[in-house]
Amino acid sequence: MSKLTNVTKDEKKMLRKMFWRAFTLYTAVTPAKQGASGFCYSMMPFIDHFYKKDPEKKKEALVRHMAYFNTTIPLSTFIMGIAASMEKQNSKNKDFDANSINAIKSSLMGPLAGIGDSFFWGVLRVIAAGIAVSMGSTGNILAPIVFLLIFNIPTILVRYYGTFLGYTLGSTYIERVYQSGLIHILTKAAGIVGLIMVGGMSSQMVKFQTKISMSMQGASVLKLQNMLDQIFVGIVPLLLTLLCFYLLNKKVSINYLIFGVIGLSILLSVLQIA
Amino acid sequence: MMLYEAIVVSLIVIATVGGAELLGLTMLNRPIVIGPLVGLALGDVQSGVIIGASLEAVFMGVVNIGGASAAEPGLATAVGTAFAINLGGGAAIALPLAIPIGILGLQVKTLLYVGVIGFFAPVFDRLAAEGKERAIIGLHYGAWCLQWGIYGLLPFIGILAGSSAINAFVKAIPPVIMNGLNICGGLLPAVGMAMLLKLLWDKKIYLFFFLGFVLVAYLKLPLVALAVLGAIIAVTIAQRDYQISQLTKKMENAPALATPSGSVNEMDSEEEDFFQ
Repeated sequence: MSKLTNVTKDEKKMLRKMFWRAFTLYTAVTPAKQGASGFCYSMMPFIDHFYKKDPEKKKEALVRHMAYFNTTIPLSTFIMGIAASMEKQNSKNKDFDANSINAIKSSLMGPLAGIGDSFFWGVLRVIAAGIAVSMGSTGNILAPIVFLLIFNIPTILVRYYGTFLGYTLGSTYIERVYQSGLIHILTKAAGIVGLIMVGGMSSQMVKFQTKISMSMQGASVLKLQNMLDQIFVGIVPLLLTLLCFYLLNKKVSINYLIFGVIGLSILLSVLQIA
Repeated sequence: MMLYEAIVVSLIVIATVGGAELLGLTMLNRPIVIGPLVGLALGDVQSGVIIGASLEAVFMGVVNIGGASAAEPGLATAVGTAFAINLGGGAAIALPLAIPIGILGLQVKTLLYVGVIGFFAPVFDRLAAEGKERAIIGLHYGAWCLQWGIYGLLPFIGILAGSSAINAFVKAIPPVIMNGLNICGGLLPAVGMAMLLKLLWDKKIYLFFFLGFVLVAYLKLPLVALAVLGAIIAVTIAQRDYQISQLTKKMENAPALATPSGSVNEMDSEEEDFFQ
């Protein structure tokens, strides 16, 4: 963060404006260009500033940032910061190749979406939702607030600092991180937390109890559920989860799976198994 | 009364499902948020939280970001919770209503996205080429109003027109089916978990799924503790991976030194054996 001292007061103001505008990235999302209008809208403070005296170049810049853009939203401000620092170069340096701005944007948005999707949606959201669901199922009204805070505090911090980091460090930095293999290590670590949480939630949230019991001379002696628990606690939820996962990998549609489970449940009830 | 409910629920849908897109996908559109909100509006927060939690467990794997999705959980939760609170049936009533509504909601959402907002893409391009910043900003927010204004009509019409039919339908459900729906509330989260597994499953680390399962099934660990434990394990492994990668790099850079650090190679292959 030491490089932040090189950023002028005006630039800080514009970066903050960009950070706020970036919240609306997918406000008018279209199939053809995804978050193009949001990206362009977020870049406007810089475009207005750098090309104040050159309306033609300003139009070019607007068109440039109305190009296809799609990435995980918490990491979008990092790319915007980089793009803004490149626009600054472009406005100062006549030999600067303006096409490189969109080239960097499109080369970053794929990989960043890859790691961002698995971390923010796959891990952070799952942890937040898991904790909130176990609170909410007992009727605790703080559940939604806890959920929103656990997810949004880190996410918004990443957005805020990403804006400044992108602007000051530029594109060379991210290339270095990639080459060092750090991304793989982080992805693996995030995956470990995610899998542990999903395992715990499968045990806690997938629920099954069978009613079957054998009775001898009027007294019930064998409860099937007790026997199942002695083999492995939660064996039915575990096997059902793995079966659904197997079927999903076999490209069975999610809606068929959902209706299959509904059908199975009604069948279990009709047969008085559960 | 029904008119009040229809208006309130559709406003909640616009504010949460639409609001999430306006405010940077901040997860306002999740069942765990919408259930309690609908409960609050209809005077039964407690039921709203419980229904929201059980729908969140079912829809946890459904994220409408990139890729294929099955349903739109926001509309599903809002309408499902409203009916369940009205009819006094809890999550067992909300669930069978929420799923078809969610599927319909996703269809309409996709239709609006492709068939209505999609046409604005070339307009944005033209405005940018003409340098009309104000018009771009206006259209940027205007498209949102149009899209979610239309989407908000769904719960409004659904509650106004469907209430008596759904009321009669729910009352006609025989007890054995009702019991089946209760069982279903317990089993359906398996589909959500499977969707999450698909996102996270990796040959090298899949065993951690079973670790999490056993810790909760046998030790009854609360999920907060599990998250902390998971983070500690992940950080430890990441640190070790980083050290290994630094060592391998050093070895590559200085081949002459490779002989004494042969043990590092062994460690590396040991690790691979373990995770395979």
